Amino acid sequence: MDVILEQYFDISLIIDEFDPVLDGFVQTILLSVFGGVLSLLWGLVLAVLRQLPGRALAPVRGLTIAYIDTFRGIPLLLVLLLISGSFGALALEGVIPRDIGIPTFFGKPDPFWYGVMGLTITYGAYMAEVYRAGIEAIPGGQMEAARSLGMTHGQAMRYVIVPQAVRTVIPPLLNDFIALMKDTSLVSVLGFVEVVQAGRDVQSEFFNSSALTLGALMFLVVTIPLARAVDRMIAGQQARYQRAQAGP
Amino acid sequence: MLKLEGIHKRFGTLHVLRGIDLEVARGAVHCVIGPSGSGKSTLLRCINLLEPPDEGRILLEGKEITGKGSRDGVNFVRRRVGMVFQQFNLFPDRTAIGNVSLAQETVLDRSAAEARAKAEALLQRVGLADKVDEYPERLSGGQQQRVAIARALAMDPHVMLFDEVTSALDPELIKEVLDVMRQLASEGMTMIVVTHEMGFARDVADGVAFMDEGLVVEEGPPAEVLDAPKNERTKGFLGLLLEH
Repeated sequence: MDVILEQYFDISLIIDEFDPVLDGFVQTILLSVFGGVLSLLWGLVLAVLRQLPGRALAPVRGLTIAYIDTFRGIPLLLVLLLISGSFGALALEGVIPRDIGIPTFFGKPDPFWYGVMGLTITYGAYMAEVYRAGIEAIPGGQMEAARSLGMTHGQAMRYVIVPQAVRTVIPPLLNDFIALMKDTSLVSVLGFVEVVQAGRDVQSEFFNSSALTLGALMFLVVTIPLARAVDRMIAGQQARYQRAQAGP
Repeated sequence: MLKLEGIHKRFGTLHVLRGIDLEVARGAVHCVIGPSGSGKSTLLRCINLLEPPDEGRILLEGKEITGKGSRDGVNFVRRRVGMVFQQFNLFPDRTAIGNVSLAQETVLDRSAAEARAKAEALLQRVGLADKVDEYPERLSGGQQQRVAIARALAMDPHVMLFDEVTSALDPELIKEVLDVMRQLASEGMTMIVVTHEMGFARDVADGVAFMDEGLVVEEGPPAEVLDAPKNERTKGFLGLLLEH
């Protein structure tokens, strides 16, 4: 038992290495925020593209579905490696703009932005499906009423359907955000020091896993309140739904 | 005002409308009655192009709205034809006044102040001046339906379509909605009303059409169709209703 505590909960090591692990966690948060916000936006764009009506726009719908299937179907790690492996070369050959191939916005190194890109590309696909479920759950009468009032499909989506859909899918979107936050740890594979990599560095130096335990606790400080917030939101929605069913 | 010629509509193999001809004069109130599945709702939805007809022509104020150039046709129609639905279809995340204002601002480009003023006036007209800031979930069915009527009227339509608007209401709430409709009729609105409310049809309608299996079986003034129907199927249907 003592050995377990020493391996995972060495207090003096945790105190000594607190700062590097916290620095790593700050990077985790930054990756999560950038990746999260961008994938929420990109996912909404994909969801709207996916259900544009009319025969003329079938290619757009088809491409969007292919994109979503692809990036839900391959591991995020693969996407990250594909980007980091070759974007630099593509930029140097002039195939893609330098700012995308070797990004250094806000002074952050390129593995950070490769991480953000990979997270956005992949989680955007997951969030698109969540938005789609929300949009499809909106009763058909809403679109009919909006169209009957003279709104175009786009206006109906923007003012009537999407606002209602987004409100109902906030809990599953938040769940996807929590998953994204944990998946930021994969960016460590690109040589970027976020919290897991910081913990690993300590682990390999001291042959002790306590810094990783510390990293895990930092995650829990954020993910557990988020999970409870999701629970509360779902309960609130359920209560509102029951009241609506009962009538005034 | 509104003319339908030879309207056919199919859903897959189901031939719902089998050749409908209808003419509604300006200011007239036309009631459409008939059993479920007769195509009454589909007919209304063809008129405002929610379901474009497969065959036939629709002329609104002399202009053909079906067929080629249908994109313009859709906008032309929906800005002149208002519709009220059986399930109300109010926007649940907006208040009553928000519901009545939204399309005024987005479709007609009215300013927020203008739209709000008109919305208030209309909500007052339908007897809901004290409910303008309530959300639909806090309103009774009759109140919601009156908001829906105000919402459609806010677009200044030339024709109003009513699709069984009282069928989902508790009985004690029906009268308040029918009263609004009576008022509207007396003010000269052109109305097509799909309904089971025979009393309303008898009092208010200029013409009644009985539909069965996708065709207009009998048509004429309410006194004839409702009180002295000539067709056996009309008699049968009305007989079923009167049994209650």
